[in-house]
Amino acid sequence: MTITRTFEYAPGAPPDDFEYEDDPVHGEVMQLNMGPQHPATHGVLRLLVELDGEIIRRTEPDVGYLHRGKEKSCESLGWAKFFPHTDRLDYVQPLMNNIGYALALEKLAGIDVPERGQVVRVLLMEISRIAAHLIYLGTTGIDLGAVTMFFNTFKEREKIYSILDAYTGHRMNNTYVRIGGVYADVDEGVEALLREFLVQFPEQIDEFESLLTSNRIWYDRNRDVGVLTADEAMAWSLTGPNLRGSGVDHDLRKAEPYSGYETYDFEVPVGTIGDCYDRYLVRVEEMRQSTRIALQALTRLAETRGGEVLAEDRRYVLPPRDRVQSSMEELIFQFKIVTDLRLPAGRAYHGIESSKGELGFFVASDGSSKPLRCHIRAPGLMNVQAIPLLAEGRLFSDMVAIIGSLDFVMGEVDR
Amino acid sequence: MVIVKRKELSFWERLYLPEVVRGLSVTMRAIFRRKITRQYPEEPLATNEVTRGQPRLAVNEDDTIRCVSCGLCEIACPAYAITIDGQETDRFIEREPERFDIDMLRCILCGFCEEACPKDAIFMSEELELADFSREALVYDIEKLKRPISALQRRSDYVYKLNDRWHSSSSTS
Ligand code: SF4
Ligand code: SF4
Repeated sequence: MTITRTFEYAPGAPPDDFEYEDDPVHGEVMQLNMGPQHPATHGVLRLLVELDGEIIRRTEPDVGYLHRGKEKSCESLGWAKFFPHTDRLDYVQPLMNNIGYALALEKLAGIDVPERGQVVRVLLMEISRIAAHLIYLGTTGIDLGAVTMFFNTFKEREKIYSILDAYTGHRMNNTYVRIGGVYADVDEGVEALLREFLVQFPEQIDEFESLLTSNRIWYDRNRDVGVLTADEAMAWSLTGPNLRGSGVDHDLRKAEPYSGYETYDFEVPVGTIGDCYDRYLVRVEEMRQSTRIALQALTRLAETRGGEVLAEDRRYVLPPRDRVQSSMEELIFQFKIVTDLRLPAGRAYHGIESSKGELGFFVASDGSSKPLRCHIRAPGLMNVQAIPLLAEGRLFSDMVAIIGSLDFVMGEVDR
Repeated sequence: MVIVKRKELSFWERLYLPEVVRGLSVTMRAIFRRKITRQYPEEPLATNEVTRGQPRLAVNEDDTIRCVSCGLCEIACPAYAITIDGQETDRFIEREPERFDIDMLRCILCGFCEEACPKDAIFMSEELELADFSREALVYDIEKLKRPISALQRRSDYVYKLNDRWHSSSSTS
């Protein structure tokens, strides 16, 4: 598969009157392996790059170095036991993956999540989105020489992780979502921590922006680099900020609302040209919007205090602990759900707007305690596919900016 | 939908030098900010009942183990970390584990065992550190897993609080 693409003058690319014949290395194609241990490939992505001097003639991403057979694990483990595995897909936003999987199962089983459970989920998703975008900013920043960004964003992310630690008991790999809602309610202490974080966070975004948006190095290395037109983005089924950066207004939170997103007040940022700079701007704006949604969710938490966070459904949800101790029937339900949780036969797909794009879970059931098929539509895989499209014909140093701006996590790509 | 604003650099920003000075001033300010790095091994992490550390088995005040080797935690464990063999006992609970191993190298601290246990016998403790020189030493057997209930009571109360749901409905019995 070769993709050839002509491009207009871009900063850093050789000028029009550049004579290749004068170039001593012209014509000599050098093959270079970038990765799988290259720090700028954000995980274990291997890129086979054919270079003509500094120009990338051809590149081929090679995925699969982190393949752990997640889909197959789901089919052999059973419905509920797959939750910890979803954490490890896109490991910078574990709760988001949990929720995506739970939503697919709930669609299949026809379970309604109580209102407070949905509010908590929205809150967790937006917090995860912020954490994931912070990783994007930090790692792309350090790849392009803005080392300060790395420390500043990780400082903020650390605050989020401390809050999640206070809520779930873990910093990463939280596994706190269950079929029918979330495992635990957000108590007032955690609520206060979240509010404190969210109130000061816009200020921090301003600081990040003041360090990058008009920074000449950041500007020159991102602007007009890796231009992705809207048609190309759609043809390569890119979703999320990468698609919106190219000017397509598509956000699953608006297009196919789930978990009550239609009742929240927020805007979807879109870019105009679709270069790395646009994708950066879209993500920064998305963090602001996420903060807005999360604050609204916090207000609703205060309104729905005392509500249930787990649906009352004895087929899928473990009964209350004290009743297990005192009631024979509840004990039987406990045994039944742990040993043999069955979902009705059928198939369901649910996609959510994760920080990388549309994260979808397709599950098929034959009515037994193990899924017939579980497929994960990982947005990162599509993002990786766009690398040759954006990088071919460009300077090699642009590769790092392009990889960073496409923002994928290999745990999810290889799964 | 909002369209993000692409900024054009001003002349001063293009010049770069004033920006270097501005950047350095940010660095200078950061030097005097409060330090946030934690010196981990010297400064131990604060743990509380929310912490999901390694699972431990609860032992009653009279030194009897609570576990009845029902095997629910073994089934619930997504990492296949638990191995149980049961045996008869003269105590009222009739069964107890003869062998109860948790492979700490497999355990992912998910807490499913704690959630599944109907006898309040296994809890996520506040113990976090895990290091040894061999793999075998990290397969914890029943003796290594036993903890007096007093050490786990805080977590037990917390788990009850978490799993206190469905107030509007009555018990099915
Ligand atoms: S915490 Fe999870 S992985 Fe560890 S023993 Fe319990 S169920 Fe298994
Ligand atoms: S679920 Fe509880 S009682 Fe049953 S085997 Fe495990 S620890 Fe023992």
